[in-house]
Amino acid sequence: MADKPSDLVQGTLDMLILKTLALEPMHGYGIAVRLEQMSKGVFRLNAGSLFVAFQRLQRAGLIRSEWKATENSRRAKYYVLTDQGRKRLNSETREWGRQVAAIARILEAS
Amino acid sequence: MSLLRNIVGGLRSLFRKEQVSQELDEELNGFLEMAAEEKMKRGMSRHDAVRAVRLERGNLEVAKEIVHAAGWESFVETCWQDLRHGQRVLRKSPGFAVVAVLTLALGIGATTAIFSVVNAVLLRPLAMEDPSHVVFVQETWRDIFPGVAVGNFVDLKRQSTSFAELCASNDASFNLEARELPERVDGEIATANYFTTFGVQPIAGRVFTAEEDKPGQPKVVVISERLWRTKLHSDPSIVGQPIRVNGLPTTVLGVMPRSFDPLLSSSDLWVPAAFSAEQLADHDNHYLNVMARLKQGTSQAQAQSELNVIAQWLRKQYPIDDQDRGFRLQPLATALLGDQRLGLRMMLAAVGVLLLIACANIANLQLARSRTRQKEIAMRAALGASPNRIVRQLLAENVVLGLAGGVVGVLLAYWAVAWIIAHGPAEMPRLDQSRIDASTLAFACAVALLSSFLFGLAPALRSASTHLSEVFKSSSGISGGRRDRVRSLLVVVEVSLALILMAGAGLLIRSALLVSHLDPGFDTSNVVVGRVGLPDPAYHDPALARQTFEQMITATAALPGVKSVAVVSRAPLAGGGSSNGLLAEGKPFDMANLVNSQLQIISPSYLSTARVPLKAGRDFTPQDTRDRSLVTIVNETLARTMWPGENPIGKRFACCEAGPKGRMDPVWHEVVGLVADVRAWGLDRQVQPEFYVPLAQMPASAWDWIGRTMDLVVRTRGGAVPIHELQSTVASVAPAVPIYRLSTMQQKISSTLERSHFDTFLLAIFAGTALLLSSVGIYGVLSYMVAQRTRDIGIRMALGASQAQIVWDVLGFGVRLAGIGLALGLAAAMAATRLLSSLLYGVRPTDAATFAAVSFILLAVALIASYFPARRATRVDPLVALRYE
Repeated sequence: MADKPSDLVQGTLDMLILKTLALEPMHGYGIAVRLEQMSKGVFRLNAGSLFVAFQRLQRAGLIRSEWKATENSRRAKYYVLTDQGRKRLNSETREWGRQVAAIARILEAS
Repeated sequence: MSLLRNIVGGLRSLFRKEQVSQELDEELNGFLEMAAEEKMKRGMSRHDAVRAVRLERGNLEVAKEIVHAAGWESFVETCWQDLRHGQRVLRKSPGFAVVAVLTLALGIGATTAIFSVVNAVLLRPLAMEDPSHVVFVQETWRDIFPGVAVGNFVDLKRQSTSFAELCASNDASFNLEARELPERVDGEIATANYFTTFGVQPIAGRVFTAEEDKPGQPKVVVISERLWRTKLHSDPSIVGQPIRVNGLPTTVLGVMPRSFDPLLSSSDLWVPAAFSAEQLADHDNHYLNVMARLKQGTSQAQAQSELNVIAQWLRKQYPIDDQDRGFRLQPLATALLGDQRLGLRMMLAAVGVLLLIACANIANLQLARSRTRQKEIAMRAALGASPNRIVRQLLAENVVLGLAGGVVGVLLAYWAVAWIIAHGPAEMPRLDQSRIDASTLAFACAVALLSSFLFGLAPALRSASTHLSEVFKSSSGISGGRRDRVRSLLVVVEVSLALILMAGAGLLIRSALLVSHLDPGFDTSNVVVGRVGLPDPAYHDPALARQTFEQMITATAALPGVKSVAVVSRAPLAGGGSSNGLLAEGKPFDMANLVNSQLQIISPSYLSTARVPLKAGRDFTPQDTRDRSLVTIVNETLARTMWPGENPIGKRFACCEAGPKGRMDPVWHEVVGLVADVRAWGLDRQVQPEFYVPLAQMPASAWDWIGRTMDLVVRTRGGAVPIHELQSTVASVAPAVPIYRLSTMQQKISSTLERSHFDTFLLAIFAGTALLLSSVGIYGVLSYMVAQRTRDIGIRMALGASQAQIVWDVLGFGVRLAGIGLALGLAAAMAATRLLSSLLYGVRPTDAATFAAVSFILLAVALIASYFPARRATRVDPLVALRYE
């Protein structure tokens, strides 16, 4: 069932949200759509987990939020990456790369 | 930073709940709308689009809940809900709530009050810089710990390297002429580095210099803030001014801060010790308080071993004066407060036991309630509450109880502390500083929470583990055996704890009764005593000092209402005294042959005035003067110690002074009389060997030993104490000399017993409360048992059981509980009361009569507590009981 959206690897959602926001500030729905597009439909996110992650990242000071008008002139809460968030994204990306490479080596070895 | 943001975020959603939830609503709605629009663009109807979004993204209401529950604040919120629910539940059973809160308040209040006393007296650090480095040095000699001789202090100071500072002081009191009447104030003579040893600076002026601490310098004094405030009108220009101390103008150098009381002796002034060359070489008189500050990095053990080496050197250097002498080093706080520890710890243990009993009682009540609430809890469980949540909720209810009990308890403690300060023993240092402050409140809070868990956890766990099916199956109350066993066990524990307290209180009461019936050894009725100290330079001449006291006796005897008058160097129960080594005639001069004995210098009329019974020989007469042969009168204890089994009259001993041929030349005193023992150190203290020397024969140097201070003993014909007459009579003979510590002999006796009576009284109150609480516990368990077994009792009565049998059954159960508790309590009390032994007089800690009496009281109370439920059981109507089903 390859076409069914899969669950995210534990703990990676935060990193993906940060990555999405690294390009530009975005509202919740935009983030969800962007994640889906970039993953070519592999990750389809539940609203609950998405908004819990926003709250968590905001309290950790990695993103902040502001109310703005959308292109369709609707009011929406936009999330913005903070400097601290950018640093975290960089370090986590590096760490992720190391781990993926390591896992790949293990899997190929057998 | 992120922790702070987390807290702020949490607080925001706690306190601005509406706004936060609105924002989340709006955000989620926007999310839904945007997703739906996207789908509508692809041709879906709005209805289908919204449905599709829900399917893809989950229910938005659920999402809201998830977001809401993710933060820590939601935990706080459910706790708050639990607390509020607990409070509602308690409001619904006010009877239970009131009993529980009051019981708990009693326990917490008593514990908090005693803790605040312990905190003030024992735990608070002494008011000085880094008190943990300050030590107190005493000499050790055989098994006593005298002060340090000036000569030894000098050698100690010269040779020791462990101390940053080493100073000495001696208690002294001074005649101060500041207001209309001359007054006596307590103070100290001190070496110049006394203040730097404690690291405390004066609030005005300065302390004395080493130069001023030398003989022949102008008179200077450092005063306490209290003296400055109460006797010198807080005069802002006092520094540099002269005040009259001991009849001489003395310059005030500085004022010490209010908190400065390093030896807890309430000293009001300090004058330089200014030891003379003769004093600096004296190794024979051991009286100095020596305090020292350890160098940084030097341990107490290191300092002690250095002192041991110095002591060894001193023993070699001064083989007579320093034979058998060593040094003892203690932390200053231990030296000053060690005596208070036992009594206060006993109190703390007693209130702790009381608190445990209170907790056991509430646990018992809760268990009884948990049975009736089983269905409520089963219902919650059936509706999906996790065991975790149920325990939390039940605990929250107990925390509400605990906090309510804590609040009432602290109010009780406020009152109790005020009462203790007003009625507590005056001799207990720092007692007046007891108060409910932040640390006691924190203590009370911790006690309240701890006890609510203590009494709440067992019932809560029990309830949460209830199996649903069992509850709904058993429709009527058929007693659950297991639960009753827990409750019975709690009662047994309560009873045994109560017995321990009762045994302790019983022993103290018995001891106090025995002491109050002791014969003080003289007639204490209608005797008034006051102290008179003649200042040194003015009355330095021994003949003048003696004549002044003799004139005082004559003048006082002429007052109306006065039967007879005498002076004595230390009246009984006045404390202090000077000890002398006596050598019986015929024994070789050796330290081991010396009998340590208390010297009393008396006017010839003393023994007849105090009515100390003469057992043999004769009393002193005015003819016993220095040019006749030296005579003495001994008490029975001294006679027994010195000449066991012999008639002491006519025997001689050497003491007090050296003959013309030097130190080893004995001066003999002939025993002319034998008197009864006087309990001079307190009714409950061991009688010391004591000997009396007539005023007219005392060696000149003895005036220095007693500081030219004597007690005037006046036997009146009854009626009011002639305070003013005595004051003006003394002042008319010796101008500007006050008479102080003026009180009746009976007042002096009761003040020496103040401490033990206070301890006894408090412990008796605690024991009574414990007895009351545990009888309530017995009553509760039996009432509950009777209520649960109404049906059994009904059946038995229907089958022909007599009322008496039913009564016996219930009573028997109650007595069995009390009996088991009693046995356990007796065993524990045997061990616990041993700790009291030093507080007891004439009673062994395992006194059988006391244990029997308290056991009897306890059983009687248990019987009464069981009787009411038993009677209720007999009123069960078999018909009604059976119709219950």
